[in-house]
Amino acid sequence: MEDQHKSMDLLKLQEKLVAFFMAGSRPILSIILAFLVSGVLIYLQGINPLEAYAAIWRGAFGSIVAFGNTCVRTTPLLIGALGMTLGIRGGLFNVGGEGQLYIGAAAATAVALVPLPVPSFVHVLFAMIAGILGGAFWALLPAYLRAYRGISEIVVTIMLNFVAIYLVSYFVHEPALLAKEGASYAQSREILDTAILPIMVKGTSMHYGIVIAVLLGVLLQIVLKRTAYGYRTRMVGTNSDAAFYAGVNVKVSFFTTLLIVGGFYGLMGTVEILGLKHSLYDNFSGGLGYETIAVALMGAANPIGVIFSAFFFGGLKAGGNLMQQTVGIPSSMVVVIQALAVLFVVGFGVGAQKPIKRNKKNTQEQASTEA
Amino acid sequence: MKKQVPLLQMKDITKTFPGVIANDRISFDVESGEIHALLGENGAGKSTLMNVLYGLHRPDEGEIYFKGTQIQISSPKVAVDVGVGMVHQHFMLIENMTALDNVMLGLPQNKPPLLDVQGSRNKFNQLVEKYGLVVYPDTPVWQLPVGKQQWLEILKLLFRDVQLLILDEPTAVLTPAEARQLFRTLNVLINEGRSIIFISHKLDEVREIADRITVLRDGAVVGTVNKEGTSLLQLSTMMVGRPVTLERKPRPEIEEKEPALVIEGLRCHDDRGLEALKSIDLTLYSGEILGVAGVDGNGQRELSECITGLRPPIHGKIEIKGNSVTGVVNDPSLLGFIPEDRHKTGLILDFSIMENLILRTYNKPPHLQRGLIQWDQVQTSSEKLVKEYDVRTPNVEIPIGMLSGGNQQKVVLARETWAKPSVIIGSQPTRGLDLGAVDALHDLLLLERNRGAAVMFISTELAEIMALSDRIVVMFEGEIMGELDGESAELIQLGEMMMGHRIESSMDNERKSRGRPA
Repeated sequence: MEDQHKSMDLLKLQEKLVAFFMAGSRPILSIILAFLVSGVLIYLQGINPLEAYAAIWRGAFGSIVAFGNTCVRTTPLLIGALGMTLGIRGGLFNVGGEGQLYIGAAAATAVALVPLPVPSFVHVLFAMIAGILGGAFWALLPAYLRAYRGISEIVVTIMLNFVAIYLVSYFVHEPALLAKEGASYAQSREILDTAILPIMVKGTSMHYGIVIAVLLGVLLQIVLKRTAYGYRTRMVGTNSDAAFYAGVNVKVSFFTTLLIVGGFYGLMGTVEILGLKHSLYDNFSGGLGYETIAVALMGAANPIGVIFSAFFFGGLKAGGNLMQQTVGIPSSMVVVIQALAVLFVVGFGVGAQKPIKRNKKNTQEQASTEA
Repeated sequence: MKKQVPLLQMKDITKTFPGVIANDRISFDVESGEIHALLGENGAGKSTLMNVLYGLHRPDEGEIYFKGTQIQISSPKVAVDVGVGMVHQHFMLIENMTALDNVMLGLPQNKPPLLDVQGSRNKFNQLVEKYGLVVYPDTPVWQLPVGKQQWLEILKLLFRDVQLLILDEPTAVLTPAEARQLFRTLNVLINEGRSIIFISHKLDEVREIADRITVLRDGAVVGTVNKEGTSLLQLSTMMVGRPVTLERKPRPEIEEKEPALVIEGLRCHDDRGLEALKSIDLTLYSGEILGVAGVDGNGQRELSECITGLRPPIHGKIEIKGNSVTGVVNDPSLLGFIPEDRHKTGLILDFSIMENLILRTYNKPPHLQRGLIQWDQVQTSSEKLVKEYDVRTPNVEIPIGMLSGGNQQKVVLARETWAKPSVIIGSQPTRGLDLGAVDALHDLLLLERNRGAAVMFISTELAEIMALSDRIVVMFEGEIMGELDGESAELIQLGEMMMGHRIESSMDNERKSRGRPA
């Protein structure tokens, strides 16, 4: 009996592993296809695609410095995509990440500019809290309209992006607010040293943001799977009518979830300022917020999947530069690769993320017990 | 009997799904100009067989012949092209488009690339007139009542001139009058030489409309019989393998009856803001089943939603065991609620069975401990419930959407009654279930009654109401038309009350004769 139990456990583990790879198979297949198609494009320019890809690999993972660059690129994408993931699982499609991250970054910068008589990590923490609140604040209006007035969050969040970008632009042009006087490019004053998110490995640009981001991913996975909040959110996201009948306050769920999603994006902007830029620049994101949507979709709106997907995007970005320098393919080629990968993923229908487990053994057992 | 080749022959169709053999070497044929009923419990394989015929599933084995030639049906389009059309239980219409748009959709046009709207409109109107299925071409589908939506589905098929119509549980969504009209239309269709496959689990209507009846059970054919010379009992025995009748079940008289649910002066609005309940007074006693009869849409849904706290009343009060209902009642030992539509509101089809079982208790111990959901514990208790309520499934981790309707409803029941609630509200709990499952559900509700629960059984099926209820009230346009004793209630009387005739005296007499507090 006990032996049977053990083998059952092993079987279960095996089943889970298979399911994990099955779930990852479509994105992986999509990535391979994207590289194949891009390879043709590169070849048409008279360059060996394998050389180009080798350059990307070296630029992304070839050395500790390269890996540092990858992490720096991955961090904001991952934090934002995790917010997106929570939204998708909770039935919300937030396209307002771009705006939320600007407001979050501005709020964090404001705090990071104020000398505080506290230890450095507390200053960083305060700035992060300000950033999260800033992002959540920017989601407040769409959240209210979605939850209590039934207005699509998609439209409202997109439009607020432009408001946020121009608002921040104003902040960094106006010396009375955040702007640095006499700067050649509009930007805020530089944040205080105490508010800087420190470098993790000397000689690289890798800051602690990546640790925060990966931990957030694991945390989100646990929250979605194991907590009452996560279960309730998935309930509302999957069938809000049934959730309502089960006694869930669906409106509150939509409202709070969208605020938290905004908070994720606020943190995304914050980490980018505290860890990398150290100053709030006009237009500093340039569409990163939108990119997170692709990252989340590629990761099948599963936090663990999103961690991998963010590293894929981050690695490509980091490696693209080296490719340009060594083989002369413009680094924008990586955008083509990313776009193709996302298109293939969408084409394969990653939405059906729960593959039905076709377990032969079970079927037979079932059949034999019935017989 | 005609001796020509049958219109349709299906030979040895086998279709398996993970863990289930849905169709086991099923052979089946349809003659020209006949209505052939496919009778069987939910999960017997009727829908699977028809989905094979309609090109939605590929059979693992077997052959299909249409007009004597073998065909491969790889998609619904191919099916419609050869002349087979299907009306699904859940309609396949685009709600934002008009009736005419829906009919024209996907058809080749006379003068491409332009749409031949006028030509289609004329043809549509001719069909409407010919078959008596009155649907206005310019009405958006979402404004059509369900009955008309079904007619539209049929018109859609006639527009494509199909020879064989498959109707999947067509009367489930119809009022009796609409069902009459449907049957008249079906007769016109067979007189034209078309054939119809009529899927149902309602014995009486099958006996009324069909020429031949094929009974399926557990994925296999039990037999094909002619309507003539086959009794109801024979059919029901074939269906469930044991005689099932909706006769009134014997029940012990419960002595200690106390009010469990008290409703006074209840008024509320429906979703559109119109008055749905007009001052309802109702008391539900422990140890009884109160049947709430009435044509669908006369305030029954709103009543159940008010009691469960999902719909705020505009006036009046509701008390369950002395607790005033002010918000959603989420104490499983106080109230169990079987909602009207298990797909939409009762279950989350993409969630697993065990996830569905904790829909209402996910945030309470023992499922939630130290802030985390204890999935091991949930799995163990789910496996126990699945066994206890006889849910047929390979395990509790598969998505509940893969189970048959009857098994899905058992999961809902398990979730709503395991905690032995004082009050149970069943809102059309047997809708869409087969006879065997209906019978099982009646037994279960009766068991709950005998345990001392106060059960409200809302149904549009009078036979079920009469078989199950201790008392019966009839709702009409948001009011209670009167109360009858379940034992002595008569069909005619109930029918009249359902049409809006008030029966004043009976309620008082009942109360007096039983010595109940008024």
